[in-house]
Amino acid sequence: MLILSEEGKKYLKDGLPEVNLYSLLDKDPIEIDYAKDKIKNFSIGLIWGKKNGWITIKGSKILKLKQKEGYTLPLALAQISKGEKVEQQNLDLLIKRKLVIKEKKANYRKIGGSITSLTPELIQTRQWKEFNLKPYNVKAVGSRIFPGKRQPYTRFINNVKRKLVELGFKEMTGTLIETEFWNFDALFQPQNHPARDWTSTYKLKNPEFGHLPNKRLVDNVKNSHENGISGSRGWGYQWDPMKAARLMPRAHGTCLSARTLASNKEGTGKYFAVARCYRPDVLDSTHLIEFNQIEGIVVDESLNLSHLLGILEIFAKEIAGAEKIRFFPDYYPFTEPSVQLSAKHPEFGWMEFGGSGIFREELTKPLGINIPVIAWGIGIDRLAMFKLGVDDIRNLFSKDLKWLRESKVAL
Amino acid sequence: MPTVQFNLSDLENLVGQSIKSSELEEIVLYVKGEIDSINGDEIKLDIKDTNRPDLWSIEGIARDLRRYLGNDEILKSFNVDSSGVSLEIDKKVEKVRPKAIGAVIKDVSLSNYSLKQLIQLQEKIHFTHGRNREEVAIGVYDYDKLNFPIIYTTVDPEGLAFVPLDFDKEMTPKEILKFHPKGREYGHLINDYPEYPLMIDSDNNVLSIPPIINSTYTGKITTNTENIFIELTGKYLNRLSIALNVLVTALSERNGIIQSVEVNYQKEQLITPDLTPKKFSINPHYARKILGLDLSKDDFILLLNKAGYEGKFKEDAIIVEYPAYRNDLLHERDVIEDIAIAYGINNILPIYPEISTIGSINPIEDYSETIRDLVTGLGYQEILTFSLTNKNSLFDKMKLEESNICEIANPISSNWSVIRNWLMPSLLEFLTYNQHVEFPQRIFEVADTVKIDQKAETRTVNIKKLSCMLSDVNAGYEEISSVLYAVLSNLGVEFRLDPFNHPSFITGRAAKILIKNKEIGCIGEIHPSVLNNWELNMPTAGFEIALTYLFP
Repeated sequence: MLILSEEGKKYLKDGLPEVNLYSLLDKDPIEIDYAKDKIKNFSIGLIWGKKNGWITIKGSKILKLKQKEGYTLPLALAQISKGEKVEQQNLDLLIKRKLVIKEKKANYRKIGGSITSLTPELIQTRQWKEFNLKPYNVKAVGSRIFPGKRQPYTRFINNVKRKLVELGFKEMTGTLIETEFWNFDALFQPQNHPARDWTSTYKLKNPEFGHLPNKRLVDNVKNSHENGISGSRGWGYQWDPMKAARLMPRAHGTCLSARTLASNKEGTGKYFAVARCYRPDVLDSTHLIEFNQIEGIVVDESLNLSHLLGILEIFAKEIAGAEKIRFFPDYYPFTEPSVQLSAKHPEFGWMEFGGSGIFREELTKPLGINIPVIAWGIGIDRLAMFKLGVDDIRNLFSKDLKWLRESKVAL
Repeated sequence: MPTVQFNLSDLENLVGQSIKSSELEEIVLYVKGEIDSINGDEIKLDIKDTNRPDLWSIEGIARDLRRYLGNDEILKSFNVDSSGVSLEIDKKVEKVRPKAIGAVIKDVSLSNYSLKQLIQLQEKIHFTHGRNREEVAIGVYDYDKLNFPIIYTTVDPEGLAFVPLDFDKEMTPKEILKFHPKGREYGHLINDYPEYPLMIDSDNNVLSIPPIINSTYTGKITTNTENIFIELTGKYLNRLSIALNVLVTALSERNGIIQSVEVNYQKEQLITPDLTPKKFSINPHYARKILGLDLSKDDFILLLNKAGYEGKFKEDAIIVEYPAYRNDLLHERDVIEDIAIAYGINNILPIYPEISTIGSINPIEDYSETIRDLVTGLGYQEILTFSLTNKNSLFDKMKLEESNICEIANPISSNWSVIRNWLMPSLLEFLTYNQHVEFPQRIFEVADTVKIDQKAETRTVNIKKLSCMLSDVNAGYEEISSVLYAVLSNLGVEFRLDPFNHPSFITGRAAKILIKNKEIGCIGEIHPSVLNNWELNMPTAGFEIALTYLFP
C-alpha cells in the first residue's frame, strides 16, 4: 500500500520545490538570496533543478538553462494520493525522495501460522482469519501497578462523616487558630484551670492576641465566670479579657460548637465537625500532638439524658459496629451530666468509644441558647487504628509510601 | 485526671467490708473512677472528676463508697471542737498572698502508708485545685513543736535564715528561691515582691515560706507525729476552705480528731475549718426534664440519700444539704447528675432523638473531596502529614527568605514550632522517608494551611491547599503541568501560567498559576539544591494551588 509522507503531502499542496524555483526564474538570472527567501525548501529545489538540468549557478546568481518539459512527477504525486497507478520510474523516484512510503503489510509476527498480537489493520482487513492467535499463560500476572488511592485514615474519617450526614448532622468548620475566648472561656472553663496553663495548652508567639467578639457576649461570659448565671454560683474569680484574647491552635473542636451556638438562634439543629486539634503532649505510640477529633452538638427543647444515651448508642452501632455497649458516668468540664460509652466490637473487643453530656447552662445561656444542648465526641483514633490494623497512632499519618500503596481500600 | 494509688486491703478496712477485685470496677463507677491497674494488693484508680478534690484520696473515695454500699450515714457529721490556738494574719501579706486559714488534728497515728497517702493528697490538691500552688498551698506541721499563736506575715528575702526541708543547712528565703528545687519550681509566685510570705511561731521558729517550702524543724511529719497543725495560704478563701475541709476529713478517716483554729484578720475573725453542711435548692420539674425520668417525691429523696445528700421538699423545691468538702456544686445540674448516677446510668433507656434535620457536608470540604477524587484518578497517592512543622523546613530547605508565619510560643520541640503556610515542604519531607520505595512516586495532599491576616478575628485565616508532587528519573515540568491542566480544566477553571523565578524551583522551569490576575499557586521542577537540602536524589516536580481561592 502506497501513501504520501508528510513531506509528500506538503509538496502536493504547495508544489514541488524544483518546480517552484524554476517558475520564479525569468529570462534574467536572479540572486540566490532572493530565491532563498521566496522558495520554501529552496535547497531541495536547487538540487533537483540542477539534477534535471534546468538551472545552474553562476557566482551569486541562478540562471535558467533550458525549457522544462514533460515533468510528470507532480502528476504522479497527485495520482498516488488518490490511490491511482503511476509509472514505475516516477514511483521509484518518489520513494527514493521519501515523498511516498510503501506501507508494510500487516504488522505482525508470524509464528508457524499463528500470531501473538492483533493489530488494528489485521482486524480492519479481516486478515486475522488467516492466523491463529497464540494462547498466553493466563495464570501469570502482569507487572505491578500502583493506582492513585485515598489515604486510609482520611477515607475512614470520610466514611464516618457520611454516616453523620445520613443521620442528619450538618458540618461545622473553623480556623485552626482560635482565641482562648472560644476555646475555653465561652465553654465555661475558668481562666485559672490547670488545663489552660502553659504546659497543657499551646499559645502563639505570632500572632499573639486576637479580637474578642461583641461586648454583650463578652460581658455575658465574664459574668457567668465571675458570679454565675442561671442559678449557678460561678467560679468566683476575676475574669481577664486579655487572657481571653490570647491566640492558640485550637485544643478541641468544641470551640466550633460554641461559635455555632452563638451565631445560630434558630433552635433545633444537629451539627458535627472533624477538627484538627493540637495539644503539647508527649509524642509516642498512643499520643499525638496534632490529631483529628469528631464531635458535635444536638440542640432541641425536648432533649434529656436518655437522648444523650440514645445518640451514643446509635453512633456506637452505626460507626463502630458495636454489638454491646455500656455507659459510665464521666466528667467533662463543659457538660453536666456527662456519660462515657464503651463499645464491644465483635473483632476488637471493648473500647472507649465516645463521650457525651448536656452542656452546662453557664455555657449555653451566655451564648443566647435557652434550650438543652447535647454535646458529643467520638474517640475516632482508636477505632481507626483497629480498622486499619495500625498499632502505633503516629502511623495514622503514615510516612510509609509502601504501606499506603499496599493498604486495602475495603474497610 | 488525678490517679490515686492505694492498697485494696486498706480500702476494705476503710469501707468496712471485703471487696473482690472483680466487683471493684463496678463499685468505683459511683465515684467516676476507672481502674488503671491492679498489681496484687496495689491499685491505681483514675478519678475522672477534676472538680472533686474530696475524691483524690483513698480516704475520701472510701467514705463515698461506704455510703453507697449502705455502711454509713447519709450526710456524715463531723465534730469540731475548738483547739484554743490562733493564727494571726499580718496586714503585710495582703499584696503578696492575702489569705490563710488553719486547723488542728489531734491523736493521729500515721503509718508509712497513710503518711504517703497524705502526701499524695497534698500534691494533687496543690496541682489541680491549687492551680500549681498559686491559689492553694498547704503546710503541715508537728503541732507539738509550735508555740502559738502562729503569725502569717512577710519577711525580707535576706532577713532570716532557716533550714528548709530536704536540706541540712540554714538558708535565707532568697537562697531558697535560688538553690532549693522547690524554690526554683515555685519561686516565680513570690519572686517579684519586695518581701516574701512567712509563717512563723511566737518563739520565732519558722514554719514555712508559703507557697515554697517548710522548715525542717517544724514542718517534718513522721510516723511519730501525734498532733498536726495545718495551714493553707492563697488568693481566695472559698478555695482554701474546700482544700482544708478535704484534708481534715481525710485525716479524720485515720481517726484524727478535728479541732478548729481562730484566724484573726485585721477586721474579722474566722473559725476554721467549718464543716457545717451546705445547702442548695433544686427544682424537681427541671430535674425530671433533664433526666427524662418521672421520679416521685420519694424517689428523689431516696436517690439523693444514696448520693450523699439530705433532701427535703419545700413547696415546689427540694432543699438539699451536702458535705462541706464538696467543691463541684455550682448549679442544680451538678446535683441532678448525682441523682442519675445513683439511679444507675445503665438503668436509663437510651432514646435516639426524633429530630428532623437535613445533614450536609460543608461546601469547601465537599469541594475538597471532589478534588481529592479527581487527583487520585490521575494516579496520585493521597498522603496525610502534620501541619506543625519548623522554619527550617518551610524556609531554609526551600531556599526561601523567612516570612510572617504562625509561631507557637511553647513548642514541645523546635521540630513542631510553627504552623505551615504551604504544603510542598511536607510532601518533600514525605519523599525523604521513601527513597528506597519503587519509583515513580506520585503523591498529593489537600490540607488547611494558616495565613496571617491582621483583619481577621483570630488574626489568621485558613487557606485550603492542594499540592501534587512527582518524583522519578524522568520527572519534569511536562507531566506535572499536564496534571495541573487536568485538575483545573476539569474544575472548569481557566488559568494562565506566567514564568517566574522562585528559589525553590529551577530557573526557567517555574511558573505562577493565575486565574484572571489573581495568583493561586505555583508549579515547577524542584531546584537540585533544594533536593540536596532534603537529601533527595530523584528529579522532582510539583505544584501547589490554594483551593480557597478557586472555590466558586
